[in-house]
Amino acid sequence: MKFIIDRFDGKKNYQQTYTVEKKDIEALTLLGTLLFIKQHQDITLNFTASCRMAICGACGVRVNGHAYLACDTKMTELFEEYKDADTFRISPLSNYTVISDLAVDWEPSIENLRKVKPGLVAKSEFSEKEGCRQNQEEYDRIVGQWDCILCGVCASECNKLSADRSDYMEPFVYTRAWKVANDSRTKDPMIHVKPTVTNGLWNCVHCHECTNRCPKHISAAEDIAGLRAMAMRKGLNSGVGPAHAKSFYTDLVEDSGRLNEIRLALRTEGMSTALRAAANKE
Amino acid sequence: MQNEFAFFPGCVLTQAAIEAKMSLEAIAPILGIKLKEINGWSCCGASQAQDVDPLATLVANARNLALAEKMNLPVLTTCSTCLLMLRRAKAQLDHGEKEKINTYLAKGNMNYKGTSEVTSLLWVLAQNAEMIKSKVKKPLSGLKVAVFYGCHSVRPGKDLGFESSTNPTSFETVVKALGAEVVPFTKRLDCCGFHAVYPAEKSVMKMTSGIVNSAAESKADCVVTPCPLCQMQLDIYQDDAQDTTKSKARVPVLHLSQLVGLALGLSAKQLGLDYNVIDASKLG
Ligand code: SF4
Ligand code: SF4
Ligand code: FES
Repeated sequence: MKFIIDRFDGKKNYQQTYTVEKKDIEALTLLGTLLFIKQHQDITLNFTASCRMAICGACGVRVNGHAYLACDTKMTELFEEYKDADTFRISPLSNYTVISDLAVDWEPSIENLRKVKPGLVAKSEFSEKEGCRQNQEEYDRIVGQWDCILCGVCASECNKLSADRSDYMEPFVYTRAWKVANDSRTKDPMIHVKPTVTNGLWNCVHCHECTNRCPKHISAAEDIAGLRAMAMRKGLNSGVGPAHAKSFYTDLVEDSGRLNEIRLALRTEGMSTALRAAANKE
Repeated sequence: MQNEFAFFPGCVLTQAAIEAKMSLEAIAPILGIKLKEINGWSCCGASQAQDVDPLATLVANARNLALAEKMNLPVLTTCSTCLLMLRRAKAQLDHGEKEKINTYLAKGNMNYKGTSEVTSLLWVLAQNAEMIKSKVKKPLSGLKVAVFYGCHSVRPGKDLGFESSTNPTSFETVVKALGAEVVPFTKRLDCCGFHAVYPAEKSVMKMTSGIVNSAAESKADCVVTPCPLCQMQLDIYQDDAQDTTKSKARVPVLHLSQLVGLALGLSAKQLGLDYNVIDASKLG
């Protein structure tokens, strides 16, 4: 069987085909397969990996256009998913700049993480001596998001990032902001919520790729919804995004429960767009 | 075959996408599918209301499901976002939220039990592809179709779960049963952008345009989608989207129910093809 792998040597992009016996790789993980190819066929093939146990987050790659954590994906799963395909396309994570073959540049993502102040700013009642305690319930609330290993799988598949990253951040950045903002020990959740609002919080297109692909079963899309609700509760509700969400809510709860699209458009963007939509429809 | 359903039209079918409702009502009796509209259903929250109040959204959908349970029927919807919202609500209710939410429903003398499943037109058709084949009057041979799934008919897999979310086949199965040719279409699993058309207009227009151009490159005669919201986005906004990216291509965008209707031999008028914004008349 064949693996067609995207290569990049710093200057040119090309695809290289590696032929392997299925029996040699079918019991391996996807990362095992990449290592097998590197060991037996091409020492120059470049990719990143470290822990081999879904903890370091280094081994995200794409198979047939969908992102996977390579060490956490069995080849048998891929054979099942792609109906015993005899060719797989392997490419680097999307929405990242490629450095070499399957290795990508994380610097812009780290920059975005910095924007939401990813570390805990603890309440003043906590001290070095007393520690920063929280009870089980408080811990359980954020433990799911705590699992994020910054593998970038969600970011690779994010439709909004693919369309334009200039007014958006990687899904896991919003998840990180949600996590610190909802940590019972945090001094002020808004330290983390506010920068998400000014950095694209309302631009998520609800494609749910992030939720779907995350190897840790985290839903960045739901965390984004959570951050939006927090922002609105604190009065950060100007702009078309909040107006759009609120009009659904008002219709749902206060009116007949069947939303009127024309009124919706009016509330969100003003008369001209609504009339244009109506005119287009006629 | 389960052929009777509690029908959840969703807001879009009662308002903007009149042609979706017309074509659905035209094909259902021919296929032997009985759709009984859920009396008093409300908006599912449209993947928006939870941003304001997740609890109210869950209560609204628990109520929708409870209404269907009273009819002793599984729920069927065509809108993929309604499908996701209803299925997600059901999963939440069945995994721990039921009791709490029922205290709200009790105020309206209602009760959620968990007895009605939630399915979509696409899934029911895919499960009955042989039956559809037998009903085809005018096989769509030679018609090149780009199938556009739309996010919420496959993602997130944990809430939808009917088939693989990275390599789904239900739609191809149905379109092939109608005799049409499915063309390779790189954007078949992409997002149309509908849900962020106001806050992220520039990105959304780019996404919409990319999908239309990908279909045109595949030499498709039309794009077909099971989701009326995707249809609306790709059809009504197509001119705007193509203008923003300075693309010339235009491709008609049909509802799944319209394509099925064509194969069943129904007229363009019965299927509301004249309501489609990008001219679809030559398909009828
Ligand atoms: S749901 Fe939002 S954050 Fe998640 S992948 Fe889609 S656009 Fe990105
Ligand atoms: S949210 Fe999930 S997919 Fe995204 S970086 Fe974290 S672990 Fe990876
Ligand atoms: S190698 Fe560490 S997560 Fe895969």
